[in-house]
Amino acid sequence: MKKTATTGFSRRIFLGAAVTAAGLGLSGCAGGGSPAAGGNVELNFVYWGDSNRAKMTDAAIKVFEEKNPGITVKSEYQDSGPYADKLATRFAGGNPPDVLAMANRSLLEYAQRGTLADLKELPELNLEKIPATVQSRGEVDGKLYGLATGVTTIGMVVNKTITDQAGVTIPDDKTWSWEDYAKFATEVTQKTGGKVYGAGYDVSTETGPILLARQRGEDFYTEDNKLGVSEDTIREWFQYSVDLRNAGGYPPAGFFEQIGGSPAQSYLAKGTVASQIIPINNFRGYNEAVQGDVVLLRMPGETTDKRRGYSADPTMLWSIAAKSKHPKEAAKLLDFLTNDADGAAETLTQRGVPINPDVAESITSKLSADDTTFVNMMAAIQEDDLPPAYVYPKGASVVADTLKQLATEVEFGRITPADAAKTFLEKSNAAINK
Amino acid sequence: MSVLTKQAPGAAASLAAGPPGRRKRGTARRRNQRSGYLFLLPWFLGMLFTIIPFFASLYLAFTDYNLFTEPNFVGLANFQAMTEDPRLWQSLKVTFIYTFVSVPISLAVALLIALVLNRGLQGLAIYRSVYYLPSLLGGSVAIVMLWRYIFGNEGIVNGFLGLFGIAGPAWVTDPNFSLSTLIVLNVWTFGSPMVIFLAGLRQVPTMYYEAASIDGASRWRQFRNITIPLISPIIFFNLIMQLIGSFQTFTQGYVMSGGTGGPADSTLFYNLYLYQKGFTEFEMGYASAMAWLLLMIIAIFTAINFIASKFWVFYDN
Repeated sequence: MKKTATTGFSRRIFLGAAVTAAGLGLSGCAGGGSPAAGGNVELNFVYWGDSNRAKMTDAAIKVFEEKNPGITVKSEYQDSGPYADKLATRFAGGNPPDVLAMANRSLLEYAQRGTLADLKELPELNLEKIPATVQSRGEVDGKLYGLATGVTTIGMVVNKTITDQAGVTIPDDKTWSWEDYAKFATEVTQKTGGKVYGAGYDVSTETGPILLARQRGEDFYTEDNKLGVSEDTIREWFQYSVDLRNAGGYPPAGFFEQIGGSPAQSYLAKGTVASQIIPINNFRGYNEAVQGDVVLLRMPGETTDKRRGYSADPTMLWSIAAKSKHPKEAAKLLDFLTNDADGAAETLTQRGVPINPDVAESITSKLSADDTTFVNMMAAIQEDDLPPAYVYPKGASVVADTLKQLATEVEFGRITPADAAKTFLEKSNAAINK
Repeated sequence: MSVLTKQAPGAAASLAAGPPGRRKRGTARRRNQRSGYLFLLPWFLGMLFTIIPFFASLYLAFTDYNLFTEPNFVGLANFQAMTEDPRLWQSLKVTFIYTFVSVPISLAVALLIALVLNRGLQGLAIYRSVYYLPSLLGGSVAIVMLWRYIFGNEGIVNGFLGLFGIAGPAWVTDPNFSLSTLIVLNVWTFGSPMVIFLAGLRQVPTMYYEAASIDGASRWRQFRNITIPLISPIIFFNLIMQLIGSFQTFTQGYVMSGGTGGPADSTLFYNLYLYQKGFTEFEMGYASAMAWLLLMIIAIFTAINFIASKFWVFYDN
């Protein structure tokens, strides 16, 4: 009796240990897209976003799988922060996804280390209809490493309920200057008795100073992948928010605790600020979060400075891993995401206005009113002659972090805008030229 | 007492408990040994996963490894670059301030609460659990998130200060206060040293106190001259463990700042910067070198403590 019990016990432990070890071994190599039986190819497709984006993407993938028997797509999505971490680890581990979403600021970090495929080398991907200005945003040394998922730009959203109640008129956004915006914001704060701050944009996101630099005749990132913005422009960008805060139009230091959350969590939705800068493909989300009384405006300074600051920017980019075991099928998926109207009918403008003009045209009737507002504004902006914009250089993510850090230092008065600008150029140049 | 002193250096005890002197190996002994090793098997398996990265990182520390391409040997270049890296110095500053402020305070609080609990309260087990609980949770993501809300602009801390007409600062977003918020969080997790102190206090023979009070020693005198010397090995053990733990702080800084070490690098813990270097800037060679520097720092501080312990730690044997 005793003996059998003992052997039974230890065998069970041994089995348990063996199973655990096997499990560890398995998890170590899971995730590779191994071709299943019957010549079926499984593609691994990853992107960042929320569940709403995932729902639309899944619907499009279903269409793709129906049109391409023999290819199944295993997709994964996450929030942008953990997504970036996981992506780096997967590439480092030699187990990259086949098709993936890439941030503008990370593209060349990956591409210039040889991890991404040259999309021009893949005949399955048809680039005929894609404007050169869009292609150039994923191109370096004549090789195409990233293709825009769609285009967008930034804009100003204003909560009209607040401004109406305060009796403040919104200036004409076709001609307004940065001074007009400051005056407007200050007036909102005054007339609401300080309950609402007129301006609540994020100083630390690079899209703001990129636009300002272009308006002032500089390229934030130049054609030869360097930093082109002047110290003076960065100083001006910081100084503007400092002055606006002193005038009362911008909230005091420490007011913003969570930046970059969902529209529903935004300070605009909470009603504590009256205006905010957003990527305008998110307009619908903001308008819904504020119960439909948000107006979308152009950025200030577009006609009052040296030149236009606007450009049609990739919302994000699609890339294919150089090590993908199924480059052919991956290119087919990317072609579908770019050129297929039936797929676009499911994803609409979720990742910006489709870059194939025919596809963009085909979905217009299916768009909600808010998304139509976004698409129309995108089209109106591009009617004008816009200066060219270029791909973000390697080191751009350090530039973004540096801006964030210095913006906080300026916010709490620990450093002057002039010193911050000087430090910004030093650190950014060091990161880009490394 | 002898039981206490043997256990005090803690971790060493498990290592010392190897096979005792060679004797005739009975079957029972062998079976015992076998199951002993079997129980250690998970640890050995775990070691495989630790020992390989351990040596790999030592090698990578001398390379320019960037995660994607083959590493090239660069000699001491990474260590040299460290001396000129202002963010590295900032991260050391943050970690040192955090460690040298929060460790003494949390040990003092732990000892104080342990002394109170040791006076034989009713429901001791409940109190012990209640005070221990934060230790289990302190490093978790959820608690750090909770901390953000408690110390947020509309959180209960500023709400409480508001009752007295004090406008509290932005505890989380103001770089002048953000680190102190995390220090408070660390002090709050005094539970595990407290439980160890409590175990130590219970081992102090009551006869010493009886003798001392007959001689007319005050409470404070008894504490100074009996309690402290007798539990000094425990204090020493707790000190070392807390020191090592707080040098390696990562989660608190990562979650509180959303991975940036912000605001303005004020919560850029050494390990957080190491992580950023490795996984967002892809400088894994540099990150590996940083890991070895941290190991050396911890080793040096532990060594200093061991040397200093000769002058204040009292072993009753």
